Amino acid sequence: MSNYFNTLPLREKLNQLGVCDFMDSAEFLDGVNALKGKKLVIVGCGAQGLNQGLNLRDSGLNVAYTLRREAIEGKRDSWKNATDNNFTVGTYEELIPSADVVINLTPDKQHTAVVNAIMPLMKQDATLLYSHGFNIVEEGMQIRKDITVIMVAPKCPGSEVRAEYVRGFGVPTLIAVHPENDPEGKGLAQAKAYCVGTGGHRAGVLRSSFVAEVKSDLMGEQTILCGLLQTGSILSFDKMVEKGIDAGYASKLVQYGVEVITEALKQGGITAMMDRLSNVAKIKAFEVSEELKDIMRPLFQKHQDDIMSGEFSRIMMEDWANGDKNLLAWRAETGETAFEKTPAGDVKIGEQEYFDNYTLMVAFVRAGVELAFETMVQAGIKPESAYYESLHETPLIANTIARKKLFEMNRVISDTAEYGCYLFDQACKPLLANFMTTVETDLVGKNFNAGKDGAVDNRALIEVNDAIRSHQVEQIGAELRKAMTAMKAIKTA
Amino acid sequence: MSQPVVHISNLNLRYRQKPVLQGLNWVIKRAENCLLCGKSGSGKTSLAKAIASQVHYSGTIKINFDASSALPPVAHYVANWYQFKDLEGQSNFYYQQRYNKQATETTATVKAELESYGRKHQLDFSHAEPILDALNYTALLFATLIQLSSGEHKKLQLIKALWLKPQLLVLDQPYNGLDKLSRKNLNQLLENITDAGTQLILISNEQELPSCINHYAEIKTGELHEITAEDRRGHFEEIVIKAVPEFLSKAPEVLSDSVINMIDVNINYGDKQVLRNINWEVKAGDKWVLQGHNGSGKSTLLSLITGDHPQAYANEFYLFGSKRGSGESIWEIKERIGLISPELHWYFDPSATVWQSIASGFYDSSGLFCDPGYTKRAHTDELLSYFGLDEYKNILMNELPLGKQRLALLARTIIKNPELLILDEPCQGLDQQQTLHFNRLVDELCKNGTTLIYVGHFESQLPECIEKRILLENGAVKSVENILACVYCDEEEHIVQKTYTN
Repeated sequence: MSNYFNTLPLREKLNQLGVCDFMDSAEFLDGVNALKGKKLVIVGCGAQGLNQGLNLRDSGLNVAYTLRREAIEGKRDSWKNATDNNFTVGTYEELIPSADVVINLTPDKQHTAVVNAIMPLMKQDATLLYSHGFNIVEEGMQIRKDITVIMVAPKCPGSEVRAEYVRGFGVPTLIAVHPENDPEGKGLAQAKAYCVGTGGHRAGVLRSSFVAEVKSDLMGEQTILCGLLQTGSILSFDKMVEKGIDAGYASKLVQYGVEVITEALKQGGITAMMDRLSNVAKIKAFEVSEELKDIMRPLFQKHQDDIMSGEFSRIMMEDWANGDKNLLAWRAETGETAFEKTPAGDVKIGEQEYFDNYTLMVAFVRAGVELAFETMVQAGIKPESAYYESLHETPLIANTIARKKLFEMNRVISDTAEYGCYLFDQACKPLLANFMTTVETDLVGKNFNAGKDGAVDNRALIEVNDAIRSHQVEQIGAELRKAMTAMKAIKTA
Repeated sequence: MSQPVVHISNLNLRYRQKPVLQGLNWVIKRAENCLLCGKSGSGKTSLAKAIASQVHYSGTIKINFDASSALPPVAHYVANWYQFKDLEGQSNFYYQQRYNKQATETTATVKAELESYGRKHQLDFSHAEPILDALNYTALLFATLIQLSSGEHKKLQLIKALWLKPQLLVLDQPYNGLDKLSRKNLNQLLENITDAGTQLILISNEQELPSCINHYAEIKTGELHEITAEDRRGHFEEIVIKAVPEFLSKAPEVLSDSVINMIDVNINYGDKQVLRNINWEVKAGDKWVLQGHNGSGKSTLLSLITGDHPQAYANEFYLFGSKRGSGESIWEIKERIGLISPELHWYFDPSATVWQSIASGFYDSSGLFCDPGYTKRAHTDELLSYFGLDEYKNILMNELPLGKQRLALLARTIIKNPELLILDEPCQGLDQQQTLHFNRLVDELCKNGTTLIYVGHFESQLPECIEKRILLENGAVKSVENILACVYCDEEEHIVQKTYTN
């Protein structure tokens, strides 16, 4: 198997990277009809598998689960998840041959083995559904030509996919059809119907391609989403302890701060996040983030280049073959950091205090989101896709840090994201060493405004506000947040 | 002894810039156990929270604890609302969640929760055991928090408070969701702890109070008035029901003569059987009351009907004439049902406004996610007025007292004029007057052929149109009866003055 993207001529590379269409709700008026009466078989029953299946069944579709024989015989968690909720469960041999749609919701690393096992069992003209394109794009998996290959990727953890559905809503979702495997031209209709079945059509659907999804997803998770949040958290904690701030306070500020700060990002983009700061602090955070962007730009570009060339997946797959040597070493190293080992102190930190005392993180988030977005767009990824994989997902990852720090973040994300996160973190920390020597406790640990005269120069403030607001990620973000159904519009009305 | 236990002077408290308590004075002496009355929104909960130092206020509240007492010198407040978190510290739950099974538990067990509470307050677990027994809770020790019904969560709050035995105990609507036997047992437990030295402030609309209550007070226009037990029973104003809005006075479209038909329905959680061999048919236009103790399986039975239970797919039953699991979506089912339940209220979107909450009834969603358009907007406005909620139109649900929230959700329940109404303890949190009023409205709506399933622990508080009763016990149908004549219902386990045939 060879990297699919690298087999394409430049014209076709650009063509597929450029698939990006925010779909109108009128496109979903046909509901689940394209899948009605069809037999849907889900491979794997973890959080995504179970919750998507519950939604699909409640939408009137016929759903069953197939698991490896050992999982069934050992009555593992995946078997319990499926049987306790009254789903039919069977082996590949029992269920795949009659399936109209096979849904592969196993971890990336198992895809090649799983697909090789199920493909020979799949009936003529069936459909294979992925929720991530790594196997097709980076590993170059070749699927039998009669089989339709589609992707439906809810952009939220499995538990949210269920929670939002039963509330009568859904989570933002990305769909795609693999151009090499759409022999009957039915792929898009089926992907849309699946999306309705999980409730995604109510929350905003982005039509993408396997290529655009993989190249943007990898870039986002390695840089801003996981990599930079990890680096920024560890450096901030170490700096505070070095400067004599109470370790319990520092631990709590870092653990919960990123969630509070990015909540503003979720609701109103970089602008809203920066507006939570006083005018003096905002100007400072702007200057610091500009400096951070200059320092980190080459690293962001290297990550994007390695993702585009396939170099990243090559070295990661090398590590897979090597028994995850690097992944496990880096995971252990993260578990040993002082931040991870210091429990959050029993101190109350007010909502505004997280902004005032953690201005450095605001600067990190602005720098990271803008850099990731800019680098993706320069590499040929459309702004809408770049927005989803940078700004949109940052608060979701931040939530995981608030729950149980970096350990939790790295547990929840895929192994692929975790590997890329460590790769970035390893390179980014030394890169920021000089910068960090200039950081004082007014940027992290203490209130930036304390002891400062709040006066600012009008023109300086106007310039800073203008630079923040006119960035492309803000303009596309405002449009997409509005379009993610009328929900936001109505809720804030 | 002459020193008052609670001495409140010139208490002022504002809620959202609106004055709630104004220059309130109150003195509670030793051995006085008070019932605090007042209309919904009069400030009962605010006063209770102020006594427990949970809200900001101006003025003084002095609590003189007895230094010689062995009881902890605290004022412990049991809220009319319960909250809990999952193992990761989040509380983003949805009401159907307790019916889904997940191999990895996400919330603590009752036992772990109680043990952690005991450690925090240095309590001996053996002292909790008699309380657990009295409230019939021992069997729930290994249930997880997400699996508990609202009545069971209420009991857990009460168990913690009774176990703590504080010097001052403030209970806000403790009877909500408790069945008759549990209410009686709770009263006995309250007698016991007041005998042992705890003083009680009770907020409740309940008629049967523990006999230790010896003082009555009422909040009116922000001030407190001492009243007598007779004052409290009061005289009811004649209930005049406003004409039902026109869009609700049409007969709902009925497409099938059989609304529900269950054939040997069974629900198991592991080894535990929650429903056993249920056979029940509900015909179009029937008016049922569904009764049974806490834990008898009522909520589970209803969750099958409302499309909220995954095990519906493994049972033989028919909804609106079609077999469940034959390709219908739960949204097609919900479209025909108006549902209210304590759990639906508890997990409802707290950031929706009153108006949005009412309008969300058109879509069966928790919160509003789309623009309802002209007609539905007009209907929402009309119902908002009908329920007297105009002034709260744009207020968020979580900023209103429970009673007002409940009224908004009742409006939400009927706004579609559905063919099947499922009212599971619809009047929880309402006062007697509001309850009578709502039940009259239900009677009016049901005249048009609406099918009704009504759950109520308080037998005096049922709509008059009820004509059939199904009683559950330990997950099985204990009896099914026709109610021939409705004269008057009292508080006893059986509606004695009604006549039954089997």
